[in-house]
Amino acid sequence: MEELLPSLKGILKEAIDIKTNALKLAISMTIKNNIDGVIAEPEEIIIMLKMYGGLREDIPMEIDIDNDGQTITLKFKNEEDFKKVEKIMETIWDNAVDLLIQVLEGDLSRIKDIPNIDD
Amino acid sequence: MTDPNAIENNPFKELGEIPKKKYTDGYTVDSTYITVRDGVKIAATICLPKGLSPDSKIPTVITQTRYWRAMELRIPFRWILDSMVSNAPNPEVVTSRGYALIYTDVRGTGASFGSRITPFSEEEVKDGYDIVDWIIAQPWSDGNVVSKGISYTGTTAELFARNNHQAIKAVIPGHGFWDPYTDVAFPGGCFDNAFIQLWSFLGKNLDLNNPKVFRQVMPEAWLFVKGVKPVRTDKDLQMLNKALEQHSSNQYVYDNTIEEDFRDDQLPDGSSFDDFSIFARKDEIERSNIPILAWCSWLDSGYCDAIIHRFMNLSNPQIAILGDWNHGAALPANQFFPNRTSVTPTPKDKVNAWINFFEKCIYSDGIQGKMIYYYTLVEEKWKKSEDWPPIGHSYQKWYFSENFTLTREKPENDVGDDKYNINFRATTGRNNRWWALLGFPITYENRIKVDEKLLCYTSQPFEEDTEITGQIVLCLHLTSTHEDGAIFAYFEDVDENGNITYITDGQFRLIHRKILSNDPPYKILIPYHSYKKEDSAPLIPGEITEVKFGLHVTSVLIKKGHRIKIAIAGADKDTFLRYPSEGKPIITISRNKKNPSYIDIPIIEKENK
Repeated sequence: MEELLPSLKGILKEAIDIKTNALKLAISMTIKNNIDGVIAEPEEIIIMLKMYGGLREDIPMEIDIDNDGQTITLKFKNEEDFKKVEKIMETIWDNAVDLLIQVLEGDLSRIKDIPNIDD
Repeated sequence: MTDPNAIENNPFKELGEIPKKKYTDGYTVDSTYITVRDGVKIAATICLPKGLSPDSKIPTVITQTRYWRAMELRIPFRWILDSMVSNAPNPEVVTSRGYALIYTDVRGTGASFGSRITPFSEEEVKDGYDIVDWIIAQPWSDGNVVSKGISYTGTTAELFARNNHQAIKAVIPGHGFWDPYTDVAFPGGCFDNAFIQLWSFLGKNLDLNNPKVFRQVMPEAWLFVKGVKPVRTDKDLQMLNKALEQHSSNQYVYDNTIEEDFRDDQLPDGSSFDDFSIFARKDEIERSNIPILAWCSWLDSGYCDAIIHRFMNLSNPQIAILGDWNHGAALPANQFFPNRTSVTPTPKDKVNAWINFFEKCIYSDGIQGKMIYYYTLVEEKWKKSEDWPPIGHSYQKWYFSENFTLTREKPENDVGDDKYNINFRATTGRNNRWWALLGFPITYENRIKVDEKLLCYTSQPFEEDTEITGQIVLCLHLTSTHEDGAIFAYFEDVDENGNITYITDGQFRLIHRKILSNDPPYKILIPYHSYKKEDSAPLIPGEITEVKFGLHVTSVLIKKGHRIKIAIAGADKDTFLRYPSEGKPIITISRNKKNPSYIDIPIIEKENK
């Protein structure tokens, strides 16, 4: 695992295409790798945003998962929520890997900031 | 880490050069259920070298685990690492050498069906036979199967030999037990409360696929892992959910042993600790004559003793390796070099050495006889021996004496004793050899401060370098104010500047003190205590009694000018159960002509080396 860590950020950015549409208040993620079956459950998207993106609140959003097209689309009701998540998505992969590295090095301080997550 | 420059007798060098890669395009991953003799479905993940032609036949490495054979990662990691199999050994290394690699969840765990009352049950062991039958029926199998693992999977690997399946050609148990009662659950009869409790808790939550509990205890896993990986065809998770339902009737070691004390106490299924030991299966393992490469560390729980007992007691062709790393060799643990940051050999070097061993056993004439490789701390050298104890081994007594000294001279005084009020706050902390079974680092720090709470005896500086290799025996003549109690003894090195370094320790519950003259169930080099109920007896307060027991095996060089120290405690509060459970005992250790107390140290005589 440790030997993979330095390259994970790059692999994630390469493998996942993020597009935002401010007019439609939508953010989409398309996974380029071939995934067998279900790419994600809607609750996993929320967990991802909270765990790695630092999202603290419950933001109303519609989550469309297109397993065939391997695309997840998040649709928001207002611009404020859209912008909040858009900002998170700019650095979420870097944050996720940094958090993992930090914890593997024994620094658990950021774990405490993650809100309760219902697995 | 061992000194990377220690080349002579280095087992990782002597096992041969790194084999050439046969496959360089990576590996494929698939998973399936294997149905065993009683209909229980065992989840298996199969890695094959990419580019394997349809008519190619290859051998198989199998690892059976209770810690999830593969993990379902959280997104986004699942999207990029879906083919990663998270358990050791590294599939890239194994498959590139031309082996199939199979991981299974043992029954009652992971995505497998069934339930379990004890670990390593006969049913679990027999599953190995059926799984090997399945493997050799696969079109890619050449009919040869080998097994390796670390800790739990090390023991499952060793128990493959007990099955006597003709396809099994070699096994590599790493950091596994020989006698679960003394090696891990009740060392010296003292209940290893911390490890057994945490291990059972983790096991239960793994079996119920409940990773959220890991937020506190294994945050790195919690951040990365969603749960156990279902088998590939189980898209709607129906099979996984049915399997998890069956796991709800599992039982766990902690619940079944917290109220127990003795080796012969019965577990709920009528078995005892001995029934899932290696030594109880000695005859079947020997009948297989399967070559064994066993490896461990001086600093690992009681598993260091396990490797010695396996070496002394099993007639199978055998290589044994004892180094200076933590449980599983992920971290260095040599207390004399606390600033070392990595382990030698590297994980890759180790896997290559293991594959060289497998190659010899499958394609060549295997290994003959027995050889133990051991690393002497401070001297920082690998040594090897065909016998244990090594040639030149003899014992040297050091007596407890006045002014808290250790001397070579037997006491001549008619009186002499030291009182010690048991300090139940005494602790080795949570990075000791017992907590290390959970993969934690091993650090015995601040011994000067720790020893202030203990009763200590220190020698004069040694006049020459002296190698101690084997098990130190501690003999105490003592009285206590209570009927129950325990002794925790730490053997330490003191340098010219007064710095104290932990070498090894031993623990012993006093009700087990009777030394038996009949044969123990396996060969040992220390006094034999049965730990059975019929041989136990409470202390008679105020009456002097002899207590004699072995410390965990070690190999260390005491340098000229250094001193040795034995530190006596009555508790290790963060690890072991308290004996007695209430009260404030005072022990009195005699050190006089009639009732001497001493340590008997296994020395390797220089001229005999």
